[in-house]
Amino acid sequence: MILDILRKNDAEVIRHDERLIITSVPNEKLEEVAKELFSANCYYATGVGVDERGMSQGFAIYHIFNSENEGKYIVIKTFARNLTIPSITPVIEGANWAEREAMDMIGIKFDGHPEPERLILPDDWPEGLHPLRKDFPYNKRPPSIKPKSRVKKKDPNTIEVPVGPYHPALHEPESFELYIKGEEIVEAKYKGFHVHRGMEKLAESRMTINQIPFLAERICGICGFTHSCAYCQAVEDAAKIDVPERALYIRTLLLEIERIHSHLLWFGVVFHLLGFESGFMHTWRIREDFMNLAEILTGNRKTYGMNLIGGVRRAIDESKKRKVMRIVEGSKRDTVEIFDNVMGMRELLNRMENVGVLPKKEARGIGVVGPTARGSGIDTDVRIDHPYAAYGELEFKVPVYKTGDVLSRVLVRYEEVLESFWIIEQVLDQLPQGDIINENYKIPEFAIGLGATEAPRGEDVHFLITERENKVYRWHPRAPTYNNLPALPIMLVGEKLADAPVIIGSIDPCFSCTDHVSIIDAERGKILWKGPLNEGVRTWGG
Amino acid sequence: MFEKSLWVFHLNSGSCNGCDIEVLNIFAPRQDVERFGIKLVGSPRHADAIAFTGPITRESLPKAVEALKAVPEPKLLLAIGSCACGGGIWYDTYAVIGGVKEFYKILKEEYNIEPPTTIYIPGCPPKPEAIIYGVALARKAVKQKQKKEIYIEELNEDMRREIAEILFSEAKGTRHFLPNIVVKTKEGEESES
Repeated sequence: MILDILRKNDAEVIRHDERLIITSVPNEKLEEVAKELFSANCYYATGVGVDERGMSQGFAIYHIFNSENEGKYIVIKTFARNLTIPSITPVIEGANWAEREAMDMIGIKFDGHPEPERLILPDDWPEGLHPLRKDFPYNKRPPSIKPKSRVKKKDPNTIEVPVGPYHPALHEPESFELYIKGEEIVEAKYKGFHVHRGMEKLAESRMTINQIPFLAERICGICGFTHSCAYCQAVEDAAKIDVPERALYIRTLLLEIERIHSHLLWFGVVFHLLGFESGFMHTWRIREDFMNLAEILTGNRKTYGMNLIGGVRRAIDESKKRKVMRIVEGSKRDTVEIFDNVMGMRELLNRMENVGVLPKKEARGIGVVGPTARGSGIDTDVRIDHPYAAYGELEFKVPVYKTGDVLSRVLVRYEEVLESFWIIEQVLDQLPQGDIINENYKIPEFAIGLGATEAPRGEDVHFLITERENKVYRWHPRAPTYNNLPALPIMLVGEKLADAPVIIGSIDPCFSCTDHVSIIDAERGKILWKGPLNEGVRTWGG
Repeated sequence: MFEKSLWVFHLNSGSCNGCDIEVLNIFAPRQDVERFGIKLVGSPRHADAIAFTGPITRESLPKAVEALKAVPEPKLLLAIGSCACGGGIWYDTYAVIGGVKEFYKILKEEYNIEPPTTIYIPGCPPKPEAIIYGVALARKAVKQKQKKEIYIEELNEDMRREIAEILFSEAKGTRHFLPNIVVKTKEGEESES
């Protein structure tokens, strides 16, 4: 069905196998193809702008779609004509950020984009400098220019409450402007990313292909392993490397340990935001065991440094297996005990029930991923839809709740933790013998690869083009928070100000993941929803 | 200098979260540093010390300066993690400043502010124990183990005086905690401080 759509629109299929379709679509047909794919239940994953002057004929954009029904990713490549590509944002809302990112970093213009303004770079960055072009040196630090001052509209009936960028309720620099009437939030603006470190440029210029797994791990200190895993999968996909089964099982084990530690950390943060300090202390006490476990297995509590292209660095022996089993058993008991108590605390549940509701329809439109989507009744999980590592051979359930409030997101994560315990037990039970790495490979030139994993926060997509001499031509990671953030204004509007921290916390935002590429500008990163929630009309942009 | 309770304002200056969760970790039951009177506070105006995690990105620089200005004297800066100490893997990319040393240069040149006393806690991320050790060092609860070592094949009297002068001028020109200095020669060790 997807192939029919592509063929109908003169698309040239470059690669087609069971997990990836890569096509090249003519400039003028792009909008048509995007529209038809979107109506064929393919949702928009990300878009990558590439400066292809080094490999072919100029600038191009790769739009990536995810078809859950067919279990395939679809990559659509379009060349720019006079640096211009027709925008697909009018058809697919989710493409908004991706296109503006390409506008900033590569300098491609998008014809028909509703708000063609700067998205990524800081306000004091000079015009006309695009860091991801190949002729821009990675270590150039242009002098600041004076940013244009913005005029703020003031409504005398509302009060502005700035939250962040450094705020006691948030542990990362991000900033929200909440406009309140009485205690009710009438408008929420998302502002200023602060963690843009120039990672993609660094990878493309200073580093080699087998150093980048360690760089990818430093995208995020909480879910780093899943990023390095997605990167390795992208290279293995591009170069057609067979990974030994034992390595795949070890990756799965570590991915699940990371998921448990991340979710337990998140429970602690949410309990802390709700004022339930002893809950915070208890979940972090359980989590500490998993940090030690990671140290036993990998040598470091965080940033494991385990992934290499073609396998992993350390094996797991019998004594380590026994230690893992012992810790998992004890932690499972503790987790269940705490949640039994939490579910009996009416005062805590009342603060989560029917708070920060994200309806299914809105969720689908924005394309939220991970537990945020599963809390709103969308059954999506990369582990099932596009099996990777050893997930294809393991048995597990994906919890889905329909109410879409904070409580449902808590419950989804709680059940996921229990499933993760079960996956770890299966992995240890079935762990095959053999090699842990396949070092016998050759990286082809200008091959395209795509790796996707289910991070604790949702779908994590890495897109990659290889180059000769062990280098990467283009690498673009897309973290789950990138898709989940636009849902926040919908959750926040109409709620009490006191609930704002827990609603923001409930999507488990990870700003370091998202910001590796983006810095969102104050006026333009916003989504407005004025008026009461039930009769609200959502308007995009200024 | 800080012999009693140390209140810390934690400022994420572009970190990947790894150091941040380890900072939070020391307040969790396993380490529980609140029993030593160490506490995270919500405003830099209430803090004795400011903890930087991350290489200080271009976007967060003006905010970091503002936060540092707001901490009352005498103040202490904890540079937690390799990124905060020296910029880490991103030390020279276009989007970051590159650690607190570069930050201090900018502070001096553009804002005319003297850099505060600094404790460097490297690691990616540093273990909770390392962070606690750093704080204990600030409170003079432990002795510094780290040494600056210089190896010279042959040492004569002139060179010795020269080296001593350089080291002492280094020590005078900075308010940082200077490590104990050991000069190693072929014959044996000589130490200065």
